[in-house]
Amino acid sequence: MNEPQAAAATPETILLPRRIRAPEVAALLDGICRSAEAGPLTLDFRDVEEFDSSTLALLNYVRGRLANVVTVNIGGALARAEESFVRRPPTEETKGPPSGGLPSRALTAIADRFIFQAKSLGRFLAMLGDEVYHVGVYLKERKGVYPGETWNQMFFMGYRSFPIVCLLIFLVGVTISITSAEQLRHFGADIYLADLVGIGMLKELVPLMTGVILAGKVGAAVTAELASMTVLEEVDALRTMGVVPEKFLMVPRLLAITLVVPLLVAMADVVGIFGGIVVARVTFGTPPSAFIAEMVTAVDWTDFGWGLIKTVVFGWAVVVGAGFKGLTVGRSAEEVGRATTESVVLSITLIIVIDCLFSFILY
Amino acid sequence: MDIIRARDLTVGYGRTEVLRDLDFTVPEGRITAIVGVSGSGKSTLLKTLAGLLPPLSGGFDFAGSLVDYRSEASLRFLYGKIGVLYQGGALLNGLSLFENVALPIRMQYPKMPEDMVCDMVYASLAQVELAGSAEKYPAELSGGMTKRGGLARALVLDPDVVFCDEPSSGLDPITSALLDDLLLRLKETFKMTLVVVTHELRSIERVADSILVVNDGGLRFSGDYADLAAADDKFIRTFFLRKDSHDDA
Ligand SMILES: Nc1ncnc2c1ncn2[C@@H]1O[C@H](COP(=O)(O)OP(=O)(O)OP(=O)(O)O)[C@@H](O)[C@H]1O
Ligand SMILES: [Mg+2]
Repeated sequence: MNEPQAAAATPETILLPRRIRAPEVAALLDGICRSAEAGPLTLDFRDVEEFDSSTLALLNYVRGRLANVVTVNIGGALARAEESFVRRPPTEETKGPPSGGLPSRALTAIADRFIFQAKSLGRFLAMLGDEVYHVGVYLKERKGVYPGETWNQMFFMGYRSFPIVCLLIFLVGVTISITSAEQLRHFGADIYLADLVGIGMLKELVPLMTGVILAGKVGAAVTAELASMTVLEEVDALRTMGVVPEKFLMVPRLLAITLVVPLLVAMADVVGIFGGIVVARVTFGTPPSAFIAEMVTAVDWTDFGWGLIKTVVFGWAVVVGAGFKGLTVGRSAEEVGRATTESVVLSITLIIVIDCLFSFILY
Repeated sequence: MDIIRARDLTVGYGRTEVLRDLDFTVPEGRITAIVGVSGSGKSTLLKTLAGLLPPLSGGFDFAGSLVDYRSEASLRFLYGKIGVLYQGGALLNGLSLFENVALPIRMQYPKMPEDMVCDMVYASLAQVELAGSAEKYPAELSGGMTKRGGLARALVLDPDVVFCDEPSSGLDPITSALLDDLLLRLKETFKMTLVVVTHELRSIERVADSILVVNDGGLRFSGDYADLAAADDKFIRTFFLRKDSHDDA
């Protein structure tokens, strides 16, 4: 309905409709700009009765940007409204694209990012050191932590991770057994499946899988909780109460993970090996007693011990990483979500790096 | 005696200066009101005075000694003497109101008998008319109740100085008048120093012994209410004598 009116006017003059609010402005703007490019243009506001701030913005735009446009017959109401229309201050020149070509800009960006990451790594390591100190002092003095909080945290962490760890480790046990059984059958080495599953589970798969599940279940929960406490000033409140948040919030969680992990690992080892036993029984008909008898010739308590130590270290990496992300969050609710994602990525990265370091030490 | 003495104090975040070159004092045992429009930096100033946000330059003395943000001992000394009511209440969500108020006692005096802790917590909650809601969790409290709970927590250990960020926002006129009574009682009975951010003109007139006005990145006024009425500053006149400026226009 607006288009025909605009088109009906002579090429040099556009007669604006009675009602010109945001939808009409949007519809007309293209035509106005095109006509203005073609030559001098007059915008006639004679009929305009209904307008809104988009009309005022249009006036402002036309006067500022389009040199060969003249506006005529602006009525009293519109003129008054225009007078009180607050204009955006002119943007500073420096706002333009940063100087330098694309390669140099990319290099600066990469360098900035690198410096930022290096600084974060430094802060993370400092926090790790502090936490070790806080845990040590707490074990000696038993002060500065909410009574009973370690038990609460143990319950939450165990409750969150036990079922999923058992399920996933069992499936992993079954999967690697089936895959390996196929290979072993070629050599008639059926019984060695027990050695393979035993070593693989105790030393590598259980620690790694448990660590990754802890990162997703426990790490994410810890970051979300601490980040929202930070955003809501609860962490500040603790500090002015004379409480050290890095101790009050982190020590119970670190102690809890240290106590939960051994239970989790023992359970996961059993379940994973059980997966192997099931597969051996079904594919080769190996009796479980023979499977276990063979397995104990290949693995011993040190394998279990190293797997346990590794998982405890992963657990610490998860909780310290989660606390680091949670306590250094910005101040908007939106950043809580981002911190949580970052925490999971950070924990998994740490776990894989540490696992790699361990394999250098152990083999 | 002045318990806080700021010299060339500049507060802000990172490279953003929010309030510059502040020189003011907070008299001991009195109520000081910090006044200013929204976003002018009142909460920022309070955070710096409470030992949470390092000053960008300058500094302030607390109880006669300079607060050194790099020294843990200096901050611990400060934390030991203050109570803070945060703008949003900042109760810990995982703990009941009772446990929230008990927290400072449990952390400072782990050996205190449970009976005494209970008595102190209930006394503090009763002061803000919340004794009946002690077992509720923060999620079950209204905004005004959360505020009052935060105040109860700030008061429970009878600190020398209490910082209150908008204690009466979100409260009805009756409760906020009760709050004013409480502030006056704290001052008179316990000789507490109170630093209160507020917008309530009536409350300022009633309780404030000394007033700090911040605006436009700096301190516009410091003095008592009588001086304020005499101040010849357009912003202050508009802020405090809203009706006059309206009549002018
Ligand atoms: N964490 C922060 N980082 C950067 N800037 C901030 C931060 N917090 C507040 N600001 C900015 O500092 C200025 C002062 O904020 P402040 O919260 O102190 O205001 P206020 O006077 O308490 O306002 P209100 O009465 O609305 O609570 C604002 O411009 C705000 O945008
Ligand atoms: Mg504020």
